Amino acid sequence: MIAGNAWVDALARMGIIAVAVPLAVIILSYVERKVIGRLQMRLGPMRVGPYGALQGVADTIKLLTKEDLRPQTADRWTFELAPFVVVVPVFLAFVTLPFTSEAFVRNLGLGLFYIVAVSSLSIVGFVMAGWGSDNKYALLGGVRAAAQLISYEIPLVMAVLAVAMVGQSLNLTELVNGQGRVPYIVWQPLPFLIFIVAGLAELYRQPFDIPVAESEVVGGPFVEYSGIRWSMFQMAEFINMVLISVLASLIFLGGWNWPLGNGAGTWLQVIWIVLKSSAFILFFMWMRASLPRLRIDQMMAFCWQVLLPFAFLQIIINGLVLVYDWPDWVLGVLSGTAALAAAYLTYRGARQAAVPASPRLHRVGSVL
Amino acid sequence: MLGILKAIGTTARAAMRKPATVQYPTQKKELPHRSRGLPVLLWDFEVDEPFCTGCQVCARYCPVDCMTVTMKDNPKYAEGKSKRRKIIDRFYIDYARCMRCDICVEVCNFDAIVMNNTWSGVELSRYDRRDLVLDLPALLADHKTGQMADPFREPMGVAHSGWAPKQRSEDEKEAVAATEEGGEG
Repeated sequence: MIAGNAWVDALARMGIIAVAVPLAVIILSYVERKVIGRLQMRLGPMRVGPYGALQGVADTIKLLTKEDLRPQTADRWTFELAPFVVVVPVFLAFVTLPFTSEAFVRNLGLGLFYIVAVSSLSIVGFVMAGWGSDNKYALLGGVRAAAQLISYEIPLVMAVLAVAMVGQSLNLTELVNGQGRVPYIVWQPLPFLIFIVAGLAELYRQPFDIPVAESEVVGGPFVEYSGIRWSMFQMAEFINMVLISVLASLIFLGGWNWPLGNGAGTWLQVIWIVLKSSAFILFFMWMRASLPRLRIDQMMAFCWQVLLPFAFLQIIINGLVLVYDWPDWVLGVLSGTAALAAAYLTYRGARQAAVPASPRLHRVGSVL
Repeated sequence: MLGILKAIGTTARAAMRKPATVQYPTQKKELPHRSRGLPVLLWDFEVDEPFCTGCQVCARYCPVDCMTVTMKDNPKYAEGKSKRRKIIDRFYIDYARCMRCDICVEVCNFDAIVMNNTWSGVELSRYDRRDLVLDLPALLADHKTGQMADPFREPMGVAHSGWAPKQRSEDEKEAVAATEEGGEG
């Protein structure tokens, strides 16, 4: 408790979140440029401050002082409210996200459910931006965003649900406390893979940047935005990355609990959670620098033909194991086997799709 | 799908390597010896005057008319210090107009003009367009101050220029001095 009164306490915690999250975004935007630069044998920003460390601040000032343009034919309210609709749900998700056993705004009983429910709201913002801009590219991007984000929301939720079945709770703190000795990634490797892939797609970053593809829809829903409104979309993307990373490290890697346990001091817990989520963030950046963009039909087919069936399979496995009360290692073995099967099927599908049956007959839609 | 792993490995290996970036204004790559910047005049350190005699052949061949050249009698010739009867009086090159065709260098009979192979021959940003018209001291400065230590001369140019210092051994020098004295006497 920061303050005695519950309301004051909650407000204080919200205030910390509201300050810390944009700061994290400023730092992350610098880190991302630096990391991707190194991955491509460049230096990244070097001019502003030592090793370009103040680049994020300079970018922020630039974005804040830029003119906030609105096309004359834009649907005014839809256009101007869309960035808020995108960014507010992401902030809302932080309400229940615990960073240590103490550091959260409110420990909701249905925390996981709340995060999943709230973060899918931002799809509305993309469609609003696409519609309100009165721009063909923006509209295409908005529709693509809706298709992709809704599709990948399902395997994401299913993966989270599988973990919740094993942990017997939707409360994030309880889920983390259940991983005192063994993190859930050991029992649930398949949901972990599904969560990472679907999370990457939810972040609409490379290789899943189809809604905002520069070379196809010139930025998608963001085409007509500038200055502060554009930076809000950007901020939402980075906060979402933090959210997915922290969530993944909480429910799969044991958060602050594993391997130190709840007895460790607050600062040790903070260090552990920061290390784990930084690893995920670096992984997302690494993927961005490594992989080319998927085609839209490949992206959709991968979701519906691979991720979703295997997510359901995992839930069935979990159900059987729980009902018959088999030991935990059965869960790990079955899930690992399923993960290998998913990887093999994806590999075989990709091989088949790469060689068309006849030069004139391309197998449209069977992507993998 | 194996391509994904390959791509990940490629970027990981790239991250281990030294970045290829050169931080340009503070760090500069070494320019190749034959780098073709804008034309500058050379300084004859032996006689302490420019090689250029003001013969205007460069100005006449210049396809874009970027040069202005005038000639004068060489005071050092009168004093007997130099072999050049005529010497350059005023020389202007409009760098804004020059297209770096190298023709002035090709036609120069005295190897007096070269294309600047240092960074100063490439970095041309000025606040005023008129600052791009360089006069004689400015054109000579690069070589005279030693900033352009190793100007690139066409290999054949040295041979057909009567003024290029010839590499002679000590014996040869004495022999030449003897014949010259004999001729005069």
